[in-house]
Amino acid sequence: MRRKLITSLVSIALLAVGLLSINLALGYRPALGLDLRGGISVTLKPVGTASTASLNLAVERIRERVDSVGVGEPEIVRQQDAIVVNLPGVNDQEKALDLVKVSGKVYLRPVLQCINAPSAATSSSSTVAGSATSTVGSTVAGSTAGGSTVTNSSTSVAASVTGSTVTVGTGSPGPSRVVNGAASTDNGPALSGTATTSAPPTTAPPTTLPASTSDASSTTVASGLSTTVASGSPTTVAGGSSPTAAGATTTVPILVSDPTKTEYLRTRGGEVCQVGRSEGTGEVFEKDSARARILGAGWGVTVNLKTGRAGEGVWNALATQCYNASAACPTRRLAIQLDAEIQSAPSVNAPTFTGSVEITGSFTRKQAENLAQVLNSGALPITLQNVAVEQVSATLGKDSLRAAVISGAIGVALVLLFMMLYYRRLALVVIVGLCISGALVYSVTALISRFYNGVLSLSGVAGLIVSIGVTIDSYVVFFERLKDEVRGGRSLRNSAQRGFKSAFRTILVADAVSLIGAAVLWYLSVGAVRGFAFYLGLSTVMDVFVAYFFTRPAVLLLARSRFMSGKHVLGLDSAGDGAARVAGATS
Amino acid sequence: MTAVTSPIEMPVSRRRVWGRLYHGETSIDFMGRKRWGLGVSAALIVITLVSLVAQGLNLGLDFKGGVQWEVPAANISRQQARDILTANGVNAVDAKIVTVSASGVDRLRIQVGEQTQEVSKKVIDALGAAAKVPIAEVSSNSVTSSWGSEITKSAIRALVVFIILVALFIAWRFEWRMALSAIAAMVHDVLISVGVYSVLQLDVTPATVIAFLTILGFSLYDTIVVFDKVDENTARFSGARLPYDDVINVSMNQVLMRSLNTSIAAVLPVLSLLVVGAGLLGAIALREFSLALFVGLITGSYSSIFIASPLLATLKSRSPKYVNLRAPHATGADLERLVLGGSPTAKRESARVRATASSARPEGDTTPSSATVRTPPTADALLSHPPRPRKKTRR
Repeated sequence: MRRKLITSLVSIALLAVGLLSINLALGYRPALGLDLRGGISVTLKPVGTASTASLNLAVERIRERVDSVGVGEPEIVRQQDAIVVNLPGVNDQEKALDLVKVSGKVYLRPVLQCINAPSAATSSSSTVAGSATSTVGSTVAGSTAGGSTVTNSSTSVAASVTGSTVTVGTGSPGPSRVVNGAASTDNGPALSGTATTSAPPTTAPPTTLPASTSDASSTTVASGLSTTVASGSPTTVAGGSSPTAAGATTTVPILVSDPTKTEYLRTRGGEVCQVGRSEGTGEVFEKDSARARILGAGWGVTVNLKTGRAGEGVWNALATQCYNASAACPTRRLAIQLDAEIQSAPSVNAPTFTGSVEITGSFTRKQAENLAQVLNSGALPITLQNVAVEQVSATLGKDSLRAAVISGAIGVALVLLFMMLYYRRLALVVIVGLCISGALVYSVTALISRFYNGVLSLSGVAGLIVSIGVTIDSYVVFFERLKDEVRGGRSLRNSAQRGFKSAFRTILVADAVSLIGAAVLWYLSVGAVRGFAFYLGLSTVMDVFVAYFFTRPAVLLLARSRFMSGKHVLGLDSAGDGAARVAGATS
Repeated sequence: MTAVTSPIEMPVSRRRVWGRLYHGETSIDFMGRKRWGLGVSAALIVITLVSLVAQGLNLGLDFKGGVQWEVPAANISRQQARDILTANGVNAVDAKIVTVSASGVDRLRIQVGEQTQEVSKKVIDALGAAAKVPIAEVSSNSVTSSWGSEITKSAIRALVVFIILVALFIAWRFEWRMALSAIAAMVHDVLISVGVYSVLQLDVTPATVIAFLTILGFSLYDTIVVFDKVDENTARFSGARLPYDDVINVSMNQVLMRSLNTSIAAVLPVLSLLVVGAGLLGAIALREFSLALFVGLITGSYSSIFIASPLLATLKSRSPKYVNLRAPHATGADLERLVLGGSPTAKRESARVRATASSARPEGDTTPSSATVRTPPTADALLSHPPRPRKKTRR
């Protein structure tokens, strides 16, 4: 018995100290929410209804875009059917709103030509485009079994289709630098410099682009890559590409695409392709029909076509056009575009399709799953609307945090003082217990911020401060019980054991109610209430945990020790025995 | 606690009020005063309802939609702000412009109806320029009205689910009468807290809503600790045919100190948030939160004693088991005997109390009605069975 108690006591102390020191050593600390450090929060909601899958995809897309500009510790979460994007440290509202502009709409566009960036192609292990083929049924296997590498196939495509682009890629300083610039945009928003160097395109050699002059086309490459071109040569941009692309963003390396015009887009593999007007959308596919699966030698995606003109009709018109390598689709490739980025551009291997389409190539499993997800979201696109935008100034946030911490500390100190006055030496258990709870809650919070992208906001801090009351209560319930038993004439040792048993029952019931409340709030609410509910629930669970593994052994052991001998240590007077008191009174 | 000081109620007392509280020897006749508690609460609720109907709640931006900007007010006047609004095509007449003080710095808070994002952006730039601060120092918050109403709806839905689940849980763990009383006490607390916000016309923000939700949780928590004791005592006195009022009275006296201690422990941090955080350090967000909490915690402690328990007693007295036991409940010395007798070692305590009572009575000054009133069964008789022999557990 005694050994068990000591084991429990030692292990929880080790757990608390261990977790805390690991967190401190690795530098994990709770990430602070927007309201504590300033920044912008945008809440998005789909217009109409949207499936969970397409919302999740939208969250992922926003995360990619936010990561690409390097916002520190962003929080992007789906809460029921709303998406909350918290961008701490961001002050530019316009930039923030552009970052979250995703639609989930998929466009199918014929590829006119592609320029492959050598550095980008070698560095990107990602896609796809070149070697991917789409066919009906069994004809796939033979043609794609080899699964050629991205670099080879895509340069060969480029070479075979547009003879002079090879020289563009290697010889000419202008466009190739543009492409290099494109590759570097992946790393951050610092592309404005490269874009302007490439802006004067007059020396670029003519290319065999079908739709535009050399000036216009090479400039639109630049504008496609970085929208800062607008300042350099607005007229050519207006001629070659969509005007919205030039005007919309300033520092964010994100395209705003206009599917009704011929324009340049980047593929996920780092290629830059010129694509024609969108002649179909992802809505030609049946909803939720795209699946990633093993096809032939590698991963691929199958997706079903809707029947009738809106499905097979549109798709086959595009496919035939590309299969025949007509002027509108000289590369035979069909680009699948989502949010101004070409997700995949497979070559079309059959003129007509019935029922389903297979897309194969040297996909990894992840890439195939990603593409399937894109197709599924395109089949049922959502339009997101900004329903709430909040900007918190950094100083205001810092002040709130400081005030919360200071007043929280004073509050805890007052409570401990009260406990010491009331429970005398037993208050020692409360103090150590609070330290252990504190260390555990801190560690869990830090781990959650590290691995699950959660943040501690002002409402969370408030939830924690409130939970001090609840935590203290379990000690009070226990100690009052203990005093009851001692007053009843039992030995301290016996009282501690009996007292804990009945007190723990009460604590369990009361904490269960708190936990139900926290869980309901967490599931059914959005925004700040959620943070509050989470921390209330966390500290409630900790309360039960600490009560059983720390308070119980600590008090039981103390009750046996000489430290607690004599009733005065409980605040019961030494003459607290009934008979003595009555005698004193009647005399 | 005025009840404690009434001399008639403590014939066997030799300690002062605090001593008796501290030693858990109170014998306050809560049930005899239930009309007071219910009366006060009814009055407060009427005030709340009248205020809600007459002036409603001052809902913040997040619930009704619109745009709000905040800018340091050192270099900008209200008139300048109005001019900026007008220049950007915002109707400045309906704009609500107030000065708020945070951390010793005055900030201008401007609230208008829904605006497009472009307009909002322009106003931010203009405000930043006029106030001579970087744009990062200008806070803004815009919410569409549809989203505002949706937040409200989702909060209400969460609340309803919460109440149903908790009621089911209490009904399962204890009984439905307790569930009903606990929920009633909780609704009472929230109503009164909302009433404070309505009467004083304070802004209701998401932080306030969180505080209201906390109140729900705390009120329930407190009530459940009391009910747990009632439940225990019900079992203890089940053989004694004691009126339910007595059971409740005994339980409440036994948990009184726990309730007080817990309330103090819970209120202290909140008070610190309110006085130090919001008052001295001037964090506005904390004030919105802690004021509602403060009111709620106090009503929460109050209601578990003065609302939940009397309601439970009223409901329970009508139940088949207790309907025949409607006798006047014990007060004074008899109640104290029950309170002390209810503690685990009934024999020793009751012997002591008996000695006390007999020795105290001849002193004359405190002969209350207890002698004339029905004498309740002694604590020995109250125990439905003799105490079990002590188990020989391994130590």
